[in-house]
Amino acid sequence: MSQNADKILDHFTLFREPEYKEMLENKKKNFEQPVAEIEVAKVREWLKTPEYREKNFAREALTINPAKACQPLGAVFAAVGFESTLPFVHGSQGCVAYYRSHFSRHFKEPTSCVSSSMTEDAAVFGGLNNMIDGLANAYSLYKPKMIAVSSTCMAEVIGDDLNAFIKNAKEKQSVPMDFDVPFAHTPAFVGSHVTGYDNVMKGILAHFWDGKAGTVPKLERQPNGKINFIGGFDGYTVGNLREIKRIFDLMGVEYTIVGDNSDVWDTPTDGEFRMYDGGTTLEDAANSLHAKATISMQEYCTEKTLPFIALHGQETVALNHPIGIAGTDKFLMEVARLSGKEIPDALTKERGRLVDAIADSNAHIHGKKFAIYGDPDLCLGLAAFLLELGAEPTTVLATNGGKDWAVKVQALFDSSPFGKNCHVYAGKDLWHMRSLLFTDKVDFLIGNTYGKFLERDTGVPLIRIGFPIFDRHHHHRYPLWGYQGGMNVLVKILDKIFDDIDQNTQETAKTDYSFDIIR
Amino acid sequence: MSTLTSKIQVVFEEPACGKNLSKSEKERKKGCTKQLAPGAAAGGCAFDGAKIALQPITDVAHLVHGPIACEGNSWDNRHALSSGSATYRTGFTTDINELDVVYGGEKRLYKAVKEIIEKYNPPAVFVYQTCVTALIGDDIEAVCKAAAKKFGKPVIPVNSPGFAGVKNLGNKLGGEALLDYVIGTQEPEYTTPYDINIIGEYNLSGELWQVKPLLDAMGVRVLACLSGDAKYREVAYSHRARAAMMVCSKAMINIARKMEERYQIPYFEGSFYGIGDMSDSLREIARLLVMRGAPDDILARTEKLIAAEEARAWASIEPYKARLKGKKVLLITGGVKSWSVVAALQEAGMEIVGTSVKKSTKEDKARIKEIMGDEAHMLDDMRPREMYQMLKDARADIMLSGGRSQFVALKAKMPWLDINQERHHAYAGYAGMVKLIEEIDKTISNPVWEQVRSKAPWE
Repeated sequence: MSQNADKILDHFTLFREPEYKEMLENKKKNFEQPVAEIEVAKVREWLKTPEYREKNFAREALTINPAKACQPLGAVFAAVGFESTLPFVHGSQGCVAYYRSHFSRHFKEPTSCVSSSMTEDAAVFGGLNNMIDGLANAYSLYKPKMIAVSSTCMAEVIGDDLNAFIKNAKEKQSVPMDFDVPFAHTPAFVGSHVTGYDNVMKGILAHFWDGKAGTVPKLERQPNGKINFIGGFDGYTVGNLREIKRIFDLMGVEYTIVGDNSDVWDTPTDGEFRMYDGGTTLEDAANSLHAKATISMQEYCTEKTLPFIALHGQETVALNHPIGIAGTDKFLMEVARLSGKEIPDALTKERGRLVDAIADSNAHIHGKKFAIYGDPDLCLGLAAFLLELGAEPTTVLATNGGKDWAVKVQALFDSSPFGKNCHVYAGKDLWHMRSLLFTDKVDFLIGNTYGKFLERDTGVPLIRIGFPIFDRHHHHRYPLWGYQGGMNVLVKILDKIFDDIDQNTQETAKTDYSFDIIR
Repeated sequence: MSTLTSKIQVVFEEPACGKNLSKSEKERKKGCTKQLAPGAAAGGCAFDGAKIALQPITDVAHLVHGPIACEGNSWDNRHALSSGSATYRTGFTTDINELDVVYGGEKRLYKAVKEIIEKYNPPAVFVYQTCVTALIGDDIEAVCKAAAKKFGKPVIPVNSPGFAGVKNLGNKLGGEALLDYVIGTQEPEYTTPYDINIIGEYNLSGELWQVKPLLDAMGVRVLACLSGDAKYREVAYSHRARAAMMVCSKAMINIARKMEERYQIPYFEGSFYGIGDMSDSLREIARLLVMRGAPDDILARTEKLIAAEEARAWASIEPYKARLKGKKVLLITGGVKSWSVVAALQEAGMEIVGTSVKKSTKEDKARIKEIMGDEAHMLDDMRPREMYQMLKDARADIMLSGGRSQFVALKAKMPWLDINQERHHAYAGYAGMVKLIEEIDKTISNPVWEQVRSKAPWE
C-alpha cells in the first residue's frame, strides 16, 4: 500500500499511486463500457463548434449550470442585516441547510437561520402548526430581537398564508404579541436570490413603517436630512459596506445603512460566539422612514423596495453596482446632492489615485476582451468599468437578467466605442457561456467560483469576482465600491493578466526568453 | 597613468566621433561627458553602461565584483531576449562585506570565479569592476589573468567602475573589454561572403529577431551581434565578418571603428526603426557586402524585398491615418531613435512637435534637420519641468519616451508610450513600425485620458 502512517498522502496525490491507477483503469475497462477515446475526442471538439452553439442556444426547457440561486437565499441575506434578527424560513428544512452552507462557504462565518421543518403531513394539512411551534422554539432557543419569516417553494405551493399564520401563532403565544415578525413570500420558482432580497427588504420596511401588520398605527413620516443606503445582495458586503460608511463619514453625511451585514459575516475570534452581530437596529429600520432619500446600490435588488419607499414620500436613487471612476463619481454626486454635503478633498484625491493607477497600466488592459457573468447589477458595474479601462466586455451574461436589463446593458455598450462588438445575454446559463467562450474568443472571464469549470474546459483564465467565491478565501473583505474598490478590481484584473503572461512564458528554454521580472 | 584613466582617455579621443573631432585639443582632454551637477537628477553610471552593453551576451556568467547594491538592484532588468542560454539572466556577485573592504576583495573574487566555473562551466566569465572595489584597489585585471590561466577559460575584466562617468562612457568601456579580450580570439567554422556584424543591438523585446527574417531573405548571415542574443564564441570570431552595421551610434562606436581599423571591416550607421531607415539599412548592408566582393545579385534581391515589405507596411499603416491625422507627438529618447521613427509617424499623419537630442550625435541632428526642417523642434537636455510644461500646454497629444519620463507625462495628463528598454513590444523592422503606430493609436484612444484630463465632476 502506498498509504502508510509515516507519510499520509492526501487525495491530490494518493490516487495517482500505481495501484489506484490500475484499479481505476480496470474499473473503466471492465465495468464502464467505455466509449473509444477517439469518439470522446470527436464529441469534445464538436462541442466547440458554432454548429453546436446553435443547438445549445435552441434549448428551451433545460438549464445547465445556472448562474443564479433561489429567492429564500436572498431572503436570508437581507434578514441577517438587521440587529439580532433570526431568519425563519417557512417550509422544508433541507433548503435552509443549503442557504447556511452557501453563506458559510463564501464568508467563512456561520449563518444563523432556522426553518419550520415542514414534513409530509404538514404538506397535506398546511404548515400552520409548524409555524406556531417553530416561532415558539426559535424565540425561546435563540432569543432574537426579531424573526424575519420567508418561505420555501413547498409552503408556497400549498398556499400557506404567512400573515395569517404569524397572527395565529402570536395568538397562541408562540411569541409576544408585540414581538417583531416581518414576513415576505419568497417562492423559489419566481425570480432569483435578488428577488428574495427585494421581497424581504420591502417586507421588513413595510412591517415597521405600515403599522406592523395592522397591530399598531402606521408611522407618520417626519422628514429629516438623513440618507438611507441599501447595498443589495452582495458577496462583497463586508468590505463594501465598511467602505461606504467610511465615505459617508468622510463627507459628514447622516445615514442609515438599511440591511448591514458587515459585522454578522465578519465576527472576531475571541472566544465568544456571536449568533448575531451588528446590523441595522430595529429603531433605525423604523426611523428610516423619515429619511430624505434612499440610495439603492443595486437597482435589480430593489425593484419593489424602491417604489415602496418612494410611495412613502422619499426620493429614491437606483444605481447599478457602480465600479470605477464614472460609477463612483455618480454615486458620490448623488450623495452630495441629496445630503447637501460637499465631496471632501480626501475623496477627490482617492479619485485621482485611481485615475493615476489606470493610466499607469492602461497599455496592458487596452483592447483585452472579457466575458462577464453574474448578477444583473454586478454585470453592469463591471462592464462599465471595463469600458472605462479601454477593455471590451465582449460577452455579458446574467441567468437572472431580464429583457429590460439586456436593454440597459446594450445602451451601455452603445455609449462607448469599446462596446461596439459586445453582446448581452439575458436568461442564459453557464453552458451557454461555454459555447460562447469557444465561438466568441475572449482573453479573460470574470465570474464566480463556478467559472473555474469554464476556465478548465475552455482555457480562458478566470478572474474571480462575484458570488459565491468558495475556492478563494477572504475576497469578501475587500470592497469593490468607492475608488478604493475600483482599485481592488483593477488590481485583480491586472494580476490575472500578468499571471497569464508569466504562465505563457515560463517554459524553460522554450518560451522563457520573455519571462521577465519587469512587466 | 592607471589602466582605467588611460582607457577612458582613449575612449574620449574616439576619432570617429563627430562631436569629439570638432573640439579643441584641450577640450578633448577633458572628455566628452558633461560633469554632472551634484544634487540634480542623473541617469545611470559607467558600471551600468558597461553591464547593459555586455549583459545580452547570453552564455557567459556576468560576475559583478562589489557590494550587493550594484548587482542586487540590476540583475535581469532588461528585456534582452536569448534564443538559447539563460546564464546571463542569473545574477552573480561577490557581494563584498566590510572585512573585504579592509583586507581587499581579490581573493573573494578569485574564489567566486572558481565557483562559477565549477558550477556553471560557462564559456567565459565577465568580471565587472564597481566603485568600492576600485577604490580599495582590487586589481581585477590581475585576478582575471590569474584565474584565466588557472582554469583555462577566458575571464574578462570589465573595468568600468561607476565613478568613471556616465552610462554612455560605460557602454564604450564595455566595448573596450570586448576589443581587448574577446574579439579575434576564436575562428568561425566557415565564413561566407555574406557575413555581417550588427553592433549596438541588444535584442530588446526580440527586436533583432524581428529583423533577422529580412536578413535571411536577403541571404545575409549575422555572424555576430554585439551584443543582443550573442554567444561568447560569436563575439570571439566576429572579426571575420565582411561588413558591419552600427545600430546605436553613441554606445559602441569604438567597437565599429576599431574593428574597421584592425580587421578592415567597413561599417555604416543605420537603424531598424522606421520604414525608410530600415530599407536604407538593408541597402547599405548589401552595398557593403558587394563592395567586399560578394556577388552583386544581392542588390536586386534586396530591392525586391524592400519593395514588397515597404508596400506591406504602408498598407498596414493606412487604416490608422484617419485616426492619427494631426496628432502631435513629442519624442523624448536619444540617439538614432530621435530621428528614425519620425518618418513613419509622419506617414501616419502625425506631427512631430519636438525630439530630444541629448544623446544624439551631430549626424543624428543633421538627420533630424533633414527630415523635419525646423531646428526649433530639437530639444537639448529637456528638464522634466519643461517637458511637463510642454505637455501641459497641450502642445503634444502623446509623448514617446523611456520609462523614467512616464510620470511626467501622466502628471501632465498626456498619453505616454514606452519606446525604450522596458517596453513590451518590438518596434524594429517593418512590422515593428506598424506595431508602434498601432500602440500609439491604442494609447491615444484609451478612455482613461478623458478621465485624466477632466477634473472630478464636482470640481
